[in-house]
Amino acid sequence: MATPDGNPASSARRQRRMVAAVLFGVAGGMVGLAFASVPLYRLFCQITGYGGTPRVAVGGGYALATGPQREITVRFDSNINPALPWRFEPGQSSIKVRLGDSALAVFRVENLGKVALAGSATFNVTPNKAAPYFVKTQCFCFDEQHLAAGQVADLPVSFYVDPEIANDPNTRDVSTITLSYTFFPAVGGKAPPAAKRPASSTADGRQRTGDPATKG
Amino acid sequence: MADAAFSPAHAAHADHSHHPTGWRRWAYSTNHKDIGTMYLVLSMVAALIGGAMSWLIRLELAEPGLQFIQDLQLYNAMVTAHGFLMVFFVVMPGLIGGFGNWFVPLMIGAPDMAFPRMNNISLWLLAASLVLLVIAGLTAGGPGTGWTVYPPLSSASFHPGPAVDFAILSLHVAGASSVLGAINFITTIVNMRAPGMTLHRMPLFAWAILVTAFLLLLAIPVLAGALTMLLTDRNFGTHFFVPAGGGDPVLWQHLFWFFGHPEVYIMIIPAFGIISQVVSTFSKRPVFGYLGMAYAMCAIGFVGFIVWAHHMYTVGLDVNTRAYFILATMIIAVPTGIKIFSWLATMWGGSIEFKTPMLFAVGFIILFVVGGVTGVALSNAGLDVALQDTYFVVAHFHYVLSIAAVFAMYCGFYYWIGKMSGRQYPETLGKIHFWITFIGVNVLFFPQHFLGASGMPRRIADYPDAFAGWNMVSSIGALITALATFFFFFIVFRTLTSGERVAANPWGVGATTLEWTVDSPAPFHTHELLPDIGAAEPAH
Repeated sequence: MATPDGNPASSARRQRRMVAAVLFGVAGGMVGLAFASVPLYRLFCQITGYGGTPRVAVGGGYALATGPQREITVRFDSNINPALPWRFEPGQSSIKVRLGDSALAVFRVENLGKVALAGSATFNVTPNKAAPYFVKTQCFCFDEQHLAAGQVADLPVSFYVDPEIANDPNTRDVSTITLSYTFFPAVGGKAPPAAKRPASSTADGRQRTGDPATKG
Repeated sequence: MADAAFSPAHAAHADHSHHPTGWRRWAYSTNHKDIGTMYLVLSMVAALIGGAMSWLIRLELAEPGLQFIQDLQLYNAMVTAHGFLMVFFVVMPGLIGGFGNWFVPLMIGAPDMAFPRMNNISLWLLAASLVLLVIAGLTAGGPGTGWTVYPPLSSASFHPGPAVDFAILSLHVAGASSVLGAINFITTIVNMRAPGMTLHRMPLFAWAILVTAFLLLLAIPVLAGALTMLLTDRNFGTHFFVPAGGGDPVLWQHLFWFFGHPEVYIMIIPAFGIISQVVSTFSKRPVFGYLGMAYAMCAIGFVGFIVWAHHMYTVGLDVNTRAYFILATMIIAVPTGIKIFSWLATMWGGSIEFKTPMLFAVGFIILFVVGGVTGVALSNAGLDVALQDTYFVVAHFHYVLSIAAVFAMYCGFYYWIGKMSGRQYPETLGKIHFWITFIGVNVLFFPQHFLGASGMPRRIADYPDAFAGWNMVSSIGALITALATFFFFFIVFRTLTSGERVAANPWGVGATTLEWTVDSPAPFHTHELLPDIGAAEPAH
């Protein structure tokens, strides 16, 4: 245990401090990991479609259907957070789409409030296991939506279902997919007291394009 | 051996045996034994508060309808406080801070902990944390979130007052205390073992504390991170757990249980350590399969980090994920089984003496097996979907944590009180205490399996008439347990005031660890000259 300076006590102390420093580092690293888990978890959900996070096609293209032409029913569901005085309904309750074909669905949204408001929609897909094969090419949920008082708008979403869904043994049995949206008041910082806040102040210019899914 | 080495050391360091007195001895203490004693006292005080809450809960649940607690937020806050108190202020300070501080340095032949002042900080941080928790309970109706603090229930919309913020701060401070304590234990065990005390000769209690310290070091910071996110969500407009802002409440559950599952092993592994020492001492044999026992604890600790989602089977995990977590969870039964069988094998053919600590050790094994079996049952996602949030789960974790861990604390108390106080507990009273407690806790918790299996939800102050019978039985069990608890405090009083003086080793040939080589009560300074284990038999 003796060191070059010949003092075993100080050497032992130094060794103890080194071990403690390493352990402090480990504890600090775990705090860092806890925070890093937020983006990592997002990334993980987006890549794997975990918890019903649908895929987003980068180029806007769609896969060409190959193999047997199967049809799949896509149902639409809309929800609204009570803090947002909007009406929000799918324009169609369901559509049938061939695997690989691009499809367009429309949601109608109306601002029932007396002031302009901004909202943003979160989304997910049920059954969760179908999510990796559900690909959106364009979606109103990628951006904040601004509606003047009383304004009505038709919001489009275009998507296709990857034909690989028919080859995956886990998803081969899926014949119906439900796409669900929930509109929340757009948040630029703090959850706004509903119907009080003018749209201009809520939009902080932050684009939600490709913003992570919320569920999963 | 070490006795001989000890006496001259003591003489040589006579000028060092400066012994602070009065309140300074305690408040400024850097002595591992005094700090251990204070941890034990804190644990006992918190046990009375946490116990009082559970008795009130059982009083309300004795009959259907609302009799005693009309304010349901108060009921929720009491359930929450009961959980926090028992986990962070009773079991952890008792097993880790109390017995760990007292006996790890003694067992490995170290003069004190590696960082005595940091040890003092750990203790007083925990005391401060307890104060914060009490403040949380007394403000704005208290935190009615359960110990899991799930958002959105814990968010500003459902708990607008400062109660949850105080609870979060309390947990932050308790966490800091635990992490500092863990660093102290690891450094002590890594650097300060006596010559010849190799890791593979170290007593199993020291092994248990080492594994626990690593679990604390890796798990608590994750809780701290998650709590910070919750705090900023509540107060500073972040959206970690708010869907409207792109966050996800399920993320909280992942982070919480990444801490929460190791946390249950943090509470039970030190108990394993104590039981190993006691079973070996009173069977008068070394522990069967010593290395297997040590590495089983390491395995439990490791696997404990990769099974967290079995607490969240109902959040919508896909079938493959659930299959993985079921498998990983069931695997824990293997190292746990190794421990149970090794204890039984130690007793098998041993010259068993059923002194009070041994009774509690055997009681621990029985109760832990009951809780373990229901744990394996609950690890099945299919069954768990039906039983989650029922009293079946409550019965399960009270068998393993509440009563098995508390049995280990009683066991440690009776085993070591002679060493700590210099006075032996009254044997007959100890045995009576064991039997009242054993009957009480089983009458208390066993019927909860039936209630849970028939669907009684947990955390609700009222229930349909159909559940009335077993709830009354359970509440009678709580009354018996309460009597046993007060009887225990009477025994503590009798021991400290009129217990018989004990010799260095009252247990005879079975007690081979180093703490039995120093006087009883253990002198203020011990092992100042390191005992040399040399080629002696491994001390376990």
